[in-house]
Amino acid sequence: MIDTSSMNIAASGLNANQLWLNVIANNIANANTTRTPQGGPYRREIVNFAPATGQSSFQNVLGQAIGTNDAGVQVTSITQDTGPLKSVYDPTNPDAVNGYVQMPNVDISTEMVDMITASRAYEANSTAFDAAKQMDLDALNIGK
Amino acid sequence: MQLLQMSLDAATLRQQVYANNIANAETPNYKRQDVAFETYFQQALTANPTEMMGEQHIPLSSSDQVNNLPDVEPTVYTDTSSTVNNNGNNVDLTSEMVDIAENQVKYEVLAQDVSMRLQRLGTAIQGG
Repeated sequence: MIDTSSMNIAASGLNANQLWLNVIANNIANANTTRTPQGGPYRREIVNFAPATGQSSFQNVLGQAIGTNDAGVQVTSITQDTGPLKSVYDPTNPDAVNGYVQMPNVDISTEMVDMITASRAYEANSTAFDAAKQMDLDALNIGK
Repeated sequence: MQLLQMSLDAATLRQQVYANNIANAETPNYKRQDVAFETYFQQALTANPTEMMGEQHIPLSSSDQVNNLPDVEPTVYTDTSSTVNNNGNNVDLTSEMVDIAENQVKYEVLAQDVSMRLQRLGTAIQGG
């Protein structure tokens, strides 16, 4: 049996971690953004992961029928961090109120740690994909 | 051959489960899954020693089928006992990578074994 499910699962992990890396890059890029279209400073964005189940694609329905209903991971939503904003004393800033500017609640070191975690997780999924591919190739070589 | 097929299927399922664990390495409250097959198989063999194969076991009558393997299905179970992360996730990426590599090699060995058995069969059919 050629198993494409493992590769799909690893691909879902690659996609999810790619999206997470994008969001982290966006957080870092906006670490000093004090004006957003919604008004106020930028707020850090958080990616929410959940196991991907219950989708009604043919493959998932078939997988549930034969008992392998594991479908990888999905990003359910991207939410804003409602944590407190940083107040920085900078009276020359045009956005300053009483000399203090509200800065985004982006912590660079947190973002860097998240970035390393995300890229390691990406690598792990890539290795899982390779392993699944190699196993399929081994299966194709049976009897040769 | 039948046993090899069952083991290959178990390894395929195991690969899916490990891939799923790795994909969900950052999912809050996700609990890792694993596949139980070899232990169940061992239990079934211990419970019914007549089904045990090997040199010591010689079938005495036609009703005593040697190739009648115990009917054991690889089963997915969830490990809720351990905790690794503070978000309720218990996927240890290092051990998952070890497991996935081990499973891959196991699959390769089984596939090669099937191949070589088929080759021997071919040699026997063609008479060398």
